[in-house]
Amino acid sequence: MTELYLFATLAGTRIAVRSQEVEAVVKLTDISPVPGTGAHIAGLSALRSRVLTIVDAAALIDGQATPADRRSLAIICNVAGHSYGMMVDAIADICAVPEGELPLRGRIDPAWACFADGIVDYLGEPHLLVKLARFIEGAALPQAA
Amino acid sequence: MDELLQEFISETQETLEALAGEVIAWEADPGDHDRLDAIFRFFHTVKGSCGFLNLPRFERLSHAAEDVLSEIRAGKRTIDPATVNAVLGIMDRIGQLTEAVASGAALPNADDEFLLAALSATGLLREEELPLDAAPAEPARSGGAVAAPRTIRLPLSLIDQLMNGVSDMVLARNELARKLRDRSADPELDSAFERLSTCVADMRDAISKTRMQRVERLFAAIPRMVRDLGRDLGKRIDLVLEGGDVEMDREMVEMVVDPLTHIVRNSIDHGIETPEARRAAGKPEAGRLTLEARQSGNQIVIAITDDGAGIDSGRLVQKAIVEGRLTPEAAQRMDEQARLDLIFQPGLSTADRVTAISGRGVGMDVVRANIERIGGVITLENQNGSGLRITLRVPLTLTIIPGLIIRAGGLHFAVPRAAVVEILHDNNEMLKIARIGGAQIATIRARRHSLIDLEDVLGLPLIPQQAPRAIMVVRSASGAPFALGVAAVDNHEELVIRPASPLVMASGLYAGMTLPDNGQPMLLLDAGGLAQVAGLAQGGEAWEAPAASTAEEQGRVDMIAALRFEELTGERRLLALSLIERVEDLDASLFGQSGSHAYVRLEGRLVPVAGGPYRFDSGKVAALRLRDGAREICYPVAQVCDIVEMPAVPDLVAMHGLLSGVAVIDGEHLEVISPFALFATLPDEPVAEIARGRCVLTDTNDGWTREILAPLLRQAGQEVLFGLPDDGAIDPADILFCSGADADFAAAITGCRVVRLRASPRPAEPDDGSIYRYDQDALMAVLSGGTGRMSR
Repeated sequence: MTELYLFATLAGTRIAVRSQEVEAVVKLTDISPVPGTGAHIAGLSALRSRVLTIVDAAALIDGQATPADRRSLAIICNVAGHSYGMMVDAIADICAVPEGELPLRGRIDPAWACFADGIVDYLGEPHLLVKLARFIEGAALPQAA
Repeated sequence: MDELLQEFISETQETLEALAGEVIAWEADPGDHDRLDAIFRFFHTVKGSCGFLNLPRFERLSHAAEDVLSEIRAGKRTIDPATVNAVLGIMDRIGQLTEAVASGAALPNADDEFLLAALSATGLLREEELPLDAAPAEPARSGGAVAAPRTIRLPLSLIDQLMNGVSDMVLARNELARKLRDRSADPELDSAFERLSTCVADMRDAISKTRMQRVERLFAAIPRMVRDLGRDLGKRIDLVLEGGDVEMDREMVEMVVDPLTHIVRNSIDHGIETPEARRAAGKPEAGRLTLEARQSGNQIVIAITDDGAGIDSGRLVQKAIVEGRLTPEAAQRMDEQARLDLIFQPGLSTADRVTAISGRGVGMDVVRANIERIGGVITLENQNGSGLRITLRVPLTLTIIPGLIIRAGGLHFAVPRAAVVEILHDNNEMLKIARIGGAQIATIRARRHSLIDLEDVLGLPLIPQQAPRAIMVVRSASGAPFALGVAAVDNHEELVIRPASPLVMASGLYAGMTLPDNGQPMLLLDAGGLAQVAGLAQGGEAWEAPAASTAEEQGRVDMIAALRFEELTGERRLLALSLIERVEDLDASLFGQSGSHAYVRLEGRLVPVAGGPYRFDSGKVAALRLRDGAREICYPVAQVCDIVEMPAVPDLVAMHGLLSGVAVIDGEHLEVISPFALFATLPDEPVAEIARGRCVLTDTNDGWTREILAPLLRQAGQEVLFGLPDDGAIDPADILFCSGADADFAAAITGCRVVRLRASPRPAEPDDGSIYRYDQDALMAVLSGGTGRMSR
């Protein structure tokens, strides 16, 4: 069983996402801000009749909110019955990788540590395999604390 | 296989739920074969399916129960409480097992044997007890399940998907509508679009109905609970369930289950007394517990009534004082309702001891919080000693609520309408905003509220604006109302509320979100959350509440009830309600005039009319009857509008004239009539004094007396009597008028004052006691009992 992966760039890092997690990729249009929440919540956006909570994953990684003019694409995923849009810098491709997931090597940045699951090689480049749900679950934690 | 198992689990759980009530009913009426059959069928089905699914424990349990029930059906066994208990026990166990299978947990095996033993040990029938009504069950069955509507089982996710689909359709329609509006009008296209529009709307309605559920489901677990609790506590309870066919939102049903269960438990544990106590109190031994549901507008009203002991508010207060929540002085000032409301204080309970059922202090506060969280209201009607009625009012659905759209910091937010008490502009005269030590206090009509700006709480920029800001008084589910400053209140709309993601909810500021037709998601603010985040005193509620209520009372002292009315001249004015004895429609003909003073004849008296003589066009005149304790004034008005609250001291005070000032009511400037000036303008010698009395005219046949004297006297407010009354009932205060020589005689027999009238201006003899009949002054003087000459 070779799995499909979505390859993208997030906070300057190449990432891979298992395609089961991905519902769609959309171009972001209007985002209504949600004041009173952390910087990692970019706001709400309507996708037809659904309302997405747009998560600025880069803000979780490097603590810097993405400026409004650089918000372009989001990966839509469904976590615990709610729809989220994960903001990414760019989308590269979606394809199967025959050699599959490789274990993490080297000392990974603590900022990434809780999101990364392993490495996926694509076009000779290693991509960090991330789990989108972790961004959302992880994001809830600092709020709860 | 998995699918089959899933099907089995959900079906079993559903049937169990529905059957719980049946078993109780069956116990009450063992001859009811329909119910027996239904229960029997359940076990039979379970047995059949679990044999197929290889669930041996289910099979054993259901088989044993089926055996017992079939014996009962065949009349070989009687029904006694022990049997019913055993059957219920088996049903419960099957429920537990189902749950365990569903969650994949381990199945505790211990008690099965015990249950089975309990079942087989119970009442095997002795021959002589063969019940007479043990007729074959078959005929009854045919009449049973007929009316059940055909239903299918659908996964919830499918319905949600449908809902979303319809919402998409509505949005697409709206967009299409906008596009169409930009084009030139095309009637054909428009009518086609109209039709589509209607279809979409109908569809939306229909789909929303799939969310509805009968309240019956809410009630399903109650009979069993009542029975079990009643047995545990040794109480007898008649349960009445009404309005099970009312429908409400499925989610709502789930939210109400817990509070309702709690209230019922409370009623049985604390409310309804033991049979002995009830007998002693002169009540029937069996307590009565009524649950009724009905729809009222867009609310569901669920009332839980018991005829138990009610709440002893005195004890509640005592307990609160003992626990230091309340000072005795504060308790003194509380009215009965406020005392009762103490039951909603966390940790305060009237229960002396903690029982397994209730009284653990996790109580009514949680119930109220839960009800208020879903936008509901809970009220108590207490009759100490004879019962308690708790009413829950919850919105029909969680998803559509009336909301206000507000603007702050350049963004739009929604607020539930139910949370907003009133809205004022910050330039309103009734509103005073004070800043002290960083805090803002808004004083609205002598009530002080904490004021927070929404921008502050949300960390938004405060955008300067020309227009006045809006101050909303917001009621939060818990805690005192507070004032919330926003840039503007834009609109009022029915909002379809959907849950926001946990990420958003974590901030504690929002209750949900909504997607208006413009496609821009909008957040629904949570009033309680705002107060909490803003750090408004919430924890101190127990202390604040009495203080707040006294502040309200002070506020109330400053406000008095006033009548708003329209003057004959068209202005709208206010008059303190306490002065007004009544309002009535008078015949215009009753109004009269004497010199510059106007009078009206009321019940045989002349009552001064305020504001001078009037001329009335219509036959009836609305009039206010005022009284300052002794004197009375009639105040004709064009129209009585309504009763309003007005400040005791008008907003703008004028010390002179008929008006004491100007008050602003609902944004309307109204002049306030000064009662002082009103009574001060009365003629010094009130006509009312003269007006009392009766005149007896003895010359009944004299034309002058009838046509000239009598009207004059009547106009002066006298009651006129022609001829001496037959029964001779003459009051010594009556005045007798006569022209003949029989005056002395009349005076002798009646003992009252007699006025002798003469036709000529001059007295016939010097010591004549008579009065010239056109000497009005003298006549009036006689009436007032004054100086007029009269015969002795």
